[in-house]
Amino acid sequence: MTEAVLSAPVRRPVPDRERLAAFGFVAPSLLIIALVFVLPLALLLGVSVLDQKGGVTAAHYIRLLGTPYYLGVIWNSLRLGLLVTTIAFLISYPAAFALARARGALRSLLLATLFLPLAASVIVKAFAWTILLRSDGLINTVLIALGIIEDPIRMIFTQTALIVGAVNIFLPFMVLPIYAVVAQLDSRYAEAAATLGASPLVVFVRVILPLTLPGIIAGVALVFSLSVSAYVVPTLLIGEKYPTLATIIAKAYLLAREPGFGAAAGVVLLAIAIIVVALSTLLSREPK
Amino acid sequence: MSEAAAHLVISGVSKRYGAATVLEHVDLTIRRGELVTLLGPSGCGKTTLLRAIAGLAPPDTGTIRLAGRDLTQEPPHRRNVGVVFQSYALFPHLTVAGNVAFGLKVRGTPKAEIDHAVARALSLVKLGHLGGRRISALSGGQQQRVALARAIAVEPDVLLFDEALSALDRKLREEMQVELRRLLQEVKATAIFVTHDQDEALTMSDRVAVMNKGRIEQLAEPRELYARPASLFALNFVGLSTRIAGQVVGSQDGMVDVVTPVGRLTARGAFQPGASVIVATRPEQLRLGAAEGANAASGRVRSVVFQGSRTLVDVDAGAGASLLAELSGREAEVPRVHDEVRFAWPVAETFAFAAEAAS
Repeated sequence: MTEAVLSAPVRRPVPDRERLAAFGFVAPSLLIIALVFVLPLALLLGVSVLDQKGGVTAAHYIRLLGTPYYLGVIWNSLRLGLLVTTIAFLISYPAAFALARARGALRSLLLATLFLPLAASVIVKAFAWTILLRSDGLINTVLIALGIIEDPIRMIFTQTALIVGAVNIFLPFMVLPIYAVVAQLDSRYAEAAATLGASPLVVFVRVILPLTLPGIIAGVALVFSLSVSAYVVPTLLIGEKYPTLATIIAKAYLLAREPGFGAAAGVVLLAIAIIVVALSTLLSREPK
Repeated sequence: MSEAAAHLVISGVSKRYGAATVLEHVDLTIRRGELVTLLGPSGCGKTTLLRAIAGLAPPDTGTIRLAGRDLTQEPPHRRNVGVVFQSYALFPHLTVAGNVAFGLKVRGTPKAEIDHAVARALSLVKLGHLGGRRISALSGGQQQRVALARAIAVEPDVLLFDEALSALDRKLREEMQVELRRLLQEVKATAIFVTHDQDEALTMSDRVAVMNKGRIEQLAEPRELYARPASLFALNFVGLSTRIAGQVVGSQDGMVDVVTPVGRLTARGAFQPGASVIVATRPEQLRLGAAEGANAASGRVRSVVFQGSRTLVDVDAGAGASLLAELSGREAEVPRVHDEVRFAWPVAETFAFAAEAAS
């Protein structure tokens, strides 16, 4: 801390030759990124504007954005993303503070419960939820055995099941970025604010929240892009009743053999994710 | 000290962390406009006492009154104190002006008044032109000034500095000591500094409280603290000294006769014959040669250190005892290493302290 305080940032102009040399070093990785990420996206964009005979057309986009059913599907995806992100945030923010305050064995235990599920595949976790939520599943069996209910409650294939499962599965991606920021937060900031006359609520709103914003934005961007594009989770936990962009993309490619329409849906999904990430970057920019 | 002038009154403050007692029944009264330093080694309780005044570490027992108000139960945000932290704790998400305005904003001060107060505080610390800067674009010295401006802007009843200058390099720190003292006197602030740096304490304060093991060992003006240390700890912590262990053989009228390895010495102090004591004096009291009615000792010069305006002479007086003499630059004769020398020093500047406190 001391050294960082003492050394004022010094900016010197970088000579062109150094720039060129630096570019030489990053060129190979740029090439790989271009091949692995940019090329497929370009192909996706291309396919989305081609008709069956290879002509250029906007038909796929008109069908997607002009049909009430498909607009509903887009809304379903957005709604899923917004709900899951909001709920995950409300749980994760206090959890990240608890995690940062915890010491020793308790902290290791809490971190392990967050990290371990990341090692299991999404499919495994989604199936685990179906086992818990089925009519003859664990939750219903226990509730009936305890005499709390007489007949099994319908839980699987409901929106509640979808949201609960998705929040659970994507939670670590919200907690960890926030925790990373909270753990670095110097407690002196809150103390300084308090001695300057700020009540605990004002300290939170004016100091803690702005200082943890980078973690919140990272978590929100991650969880939103994961949940808006989730395929396995809605397929297994709610199925046909709640079609999303991800499920109609799969259908377009696998069942209907309409790659153009699938690609167009993919581009729309991508656009939504890009807008969210761009907004996050904009929000997290340092004040001038 | 008249009771009316008492501004900050700390009485009977104690604080424990688990089994460790950090503050033990501390009493301290500070006048309005006074600059007081809490001086001591790490772990002596000085920072805890500062945090107790700020409300960041409430004491277990005792009361703290500031400007006529009992603050003991008040949370930090209702105390009207200003704290300058060692790490400055400037808000990185706000600009320089945003940091200085923070305390006024949360008080709901009108915008025009805030702007005026911010401009005034920043010009006081000579940073009037940097209000729009980001904190990360400032040097350490500039951050220190912003932290000070932020604390001053709310016009607190007392300013608290927690090792606030220790992160600066030495030259800058010495400049800031003088400038800070001038500035605090200019705005008539009451301030408490916490430091382990004796030079800072002597430079900055009207009075110094030497702290040890959760207690205030001595509270005195810098000159008095140096010339009349109240304990062996205070003697050791502030300034250099010559110290010789011995046994009391006679005592009368607040003076004791002590037998030491270097001979019989007379010192201020009240002890029973037979008591083990440390006899001490300040190095600049030692003069080459002998003098009538003064303490004296002789030995062989071990080292001579030239320090510009003064020269320090370390003398091996035999039997494990050593003498430390400071000769001013005007001294005609400066001994060389291995010279046999004799030093004398006034009885009135010789003190006896209980030896067991040395641990």
